[in-house]
Amino acid sequence: MHIPDGYLDPISAGVTWAVMLAFGYYAYRRSVLQKYMELVISLAAAIFVAQMLNWPIPGGTSLHFVGGALAAILLGPLAAFFVLLLVLLVQTLVFHDGGITALGANVINMGVVAPLVGYAVYKVLRPRVGVFWSAFAAGWASITAAGTAAGLEIGLSPWFPYGWTISVPVMACWHALLGLVEGAITGFVVLYLSKRAPEYVRL
Amino acid sequence: MTRSFLILLIALALISPVFGVWLATLINYSEPLDVAADLINQAANRTVLNDTGYLMNWTPFINYTVPGLPDWAGYIISAYIGLAIYLLLYTALVRWRRVKRTG
Repeated sequence: MHIPDGYLDPISAGVTWAVMLAFGYYAYRRSVLQKYMELVISLAAAIFVAQMLNWPIPGGTSLHFVGGALAAILLGPLAAFFVLLLVLLVQTLVFHDGGITALGANVINMGVVAPLVGYAVYKVLRPRVGVFWSAFAAGWASITAAGTAAGLEIGLSPWFPYGWTISVPVMACWHALLGLVEGAITGFVVLYLSKRAPEYVRL
Repeated sequence: MTRSFLILLIALALISPVFGVWLATLINYSEPLDVAADLINQAANRTVLNDTGYLMNWTPFINYTVPGLPDWAGYIISAYIGLAIYLLLYTALVRWRRVKRTG
């Protein structure tokens, strides 16, 4: 999911950085970040470690937990932005996992799109299908949407000659499969927390 | 950050190379995005998408490695470097809050 340096042209990189900064400013003004700062940092640490546990799949790919939906269910989508921002900053700056030119795009996919979609799905389904399945669907939808967004960013960049009609279906289908595991982990963690430590589940 | 939460994270970091390094090499792993890029480059018969991460690099810990250490050890150290950064941030925040309250 992490877009590396070299995939986005300077204009796409600039636009995605600007969107990241604008959303960050909005989220900072609207969320009660001060109150939840300890939880934001703790969750960032947990998601950072969880993202290192990638599970290889025969055929040369792998999946790992992203955590956008989980963070949104626990803290709301605006505070979740800062959780994923902290994760991506350390990954990009210290380990060069994800490009610095693509940081804006990566933050949009995992820190804006994934939490917003996950939050909306959980909120709609929660009264109908219960905690586990609504969190499962939220995790799955968040990855599928984030993968689609990554496909759109790569496809719209002029460095990619085939356009988004190629990149979006490829990325969307791929991540719709990977999203099943994201859904399962999100479901189990939210179910566990809602039973053992319901004070952490805001929604 | 409670003690048991921190211990869980430290333990997870310790077993992370099983997934991130050992199984990854066993199965010839790469990121889904890299696989897609390779397929596209093959189909086009030229380099369309080029990961320039190693050309413009600034960190000795690129891709969760530590210079001079085997991959699995570098992976664990990398996880601890990351955790240490969050722990520092957390401690600084808690201390800052305390100063603000008493000051």
